[in-house]
Amino acid sequence: MTPVINRFLGLLALVAILVALVALVAIVRRRVPVWLADAALPLATAVALVATLGSLYYSEVAGYPPCTLCWYQRIAMYPLVVVVGVAALRRDRSVWLPATILSGIGAAVSVWHLFIERNPQLGGACDPSNPCAILWVREFGFLTIPTMALIGFVTIALLTLAAATAARTLTTDDPAGDALEGQDRP
Amino acid sequence: MTPPSNPKVPATSRTTRPSARATGAGDARPTRGRIVFGLVAVAVIGFAALIASLSVREAGSVLDVSDVAGSVAIEGDPLIPLLDEGADPALGAAAPVVTGQDFDGSEVVIGGASGRGQVIVFLASWCPVCERELPEIVRFVDGGGVPEGVDLVAVATGLDASRPNWPPQDWFEREGFEGTVLRDDAVGTVAATYGLQGTPYWVVLDANGRVVGRVGGYVEPSDLGGLFELALAAG
Repeated sequence: MTPVINRFLGLLALVAILVALVALVAIVRRRVPVWLADAALPLATAVALVATLGSLYYSEVAGYPPCTLCWYQRIAMYPLVVVVGVAALRRDRSVWLPATILSGIGAAVSVWHLFIERNPQLGGACDPSNPCAILWVREFGFLTIPTMALIGFVTIALLTLAAATAARTLTTDDPAGDALEGQDRP
Repeated sequence: MTPPSNPKVPATSRTTRPSARATGAGDARPTRGRIVFGLVAVAVIGFAALIASLSVREAGSVLDVSDVAGSVAIEGDPLIPLLDEGADPALGAAAPVVTGQDFDGSEVVIGGASGRGQVIVFLASWCPVCERELPEIVRFVDGGGVPEGVDLVAVATGLDASRPNWPPQDWFEREGFEGTVLRDDAVGTVAATYGLQGTPYWVVLDANGRVVGRVGGYVEPSDLGGLFELALAAG
């Protein structure tokens, strides 16, 4: 079962990369497609939810004990489900600030975790109980647990920023609403 | 990328209710776009689940720890666990003599006055540092780095079938290690007897079976020669 879950989460991580790229391009161009403006917060909630459920599956079902760095990433990821989820329900695009802060903290830990993973010898001897560098998952040759967490954090941050960018361009720089591609004019 | 300065207005509605504008909240009613998005999201997740279930072939029967673990006989006092700092209190102590088996069932002995120096390295197949170390050891051995009068013995310890890179014999074979491997027992008795605190773990014995050096953690390839010379010089 676990190999199937690994592949499933790996595929979703690849999809998340594509979504993050789309969001990044939209933010840089300051032209957010209507579908993205509308779906960004629910999508960010979905990413946080899948990441949370995935981590719980690994620890509670697959039996992979979370290492210290995994816990720090969980601390950043789990609240995002509620914070962004409530914002998605209320269409509150001001959530970009807490979401970006939480995602930034989580992403920083993920990057450090990845560094330890790639350079395990820098961490000294392996703690026999639970080393941080152990590769429980290695999907498609590069997707490890902290890699997928990093993708999740970055995607959530970019999606909430895209939602906020859509609101800002509409109200300040683009009163005619042209920034929202495909938006029906009132 | 400039942080948004006023993200409190929903982009999909040009006419926002005053109360919603004040709180940054928008109309929570589902729109056609959200319904379409929901359907697309469900389709993507379902497609990913389908691809995952079809593309992954579950592993067949795997060896359990009891299939890999050896049975060991130990004579002598255990070594004091390796300290993180300061002088090693085990230096000069007689290492316990352990008799066990390799993966083929042949007898392997570590410790004791064999008349030859011994470099013993404790490795766990799931340990990322060990995964980094073993290829370096193989290169060192293949390059003729092991001096005459010194034996290298690896101890496969930390046996855990639930962890990655299992079973260890496949790992040793895949990495091309052709030296002697002692199988620790299921609870790591050999490692504990030799004072292991983490893997990889090196113990250097002289020809009289006395400890002349211990190292915990990764040993740089350039330092491997010195470790073996230590066993030779002391012996």
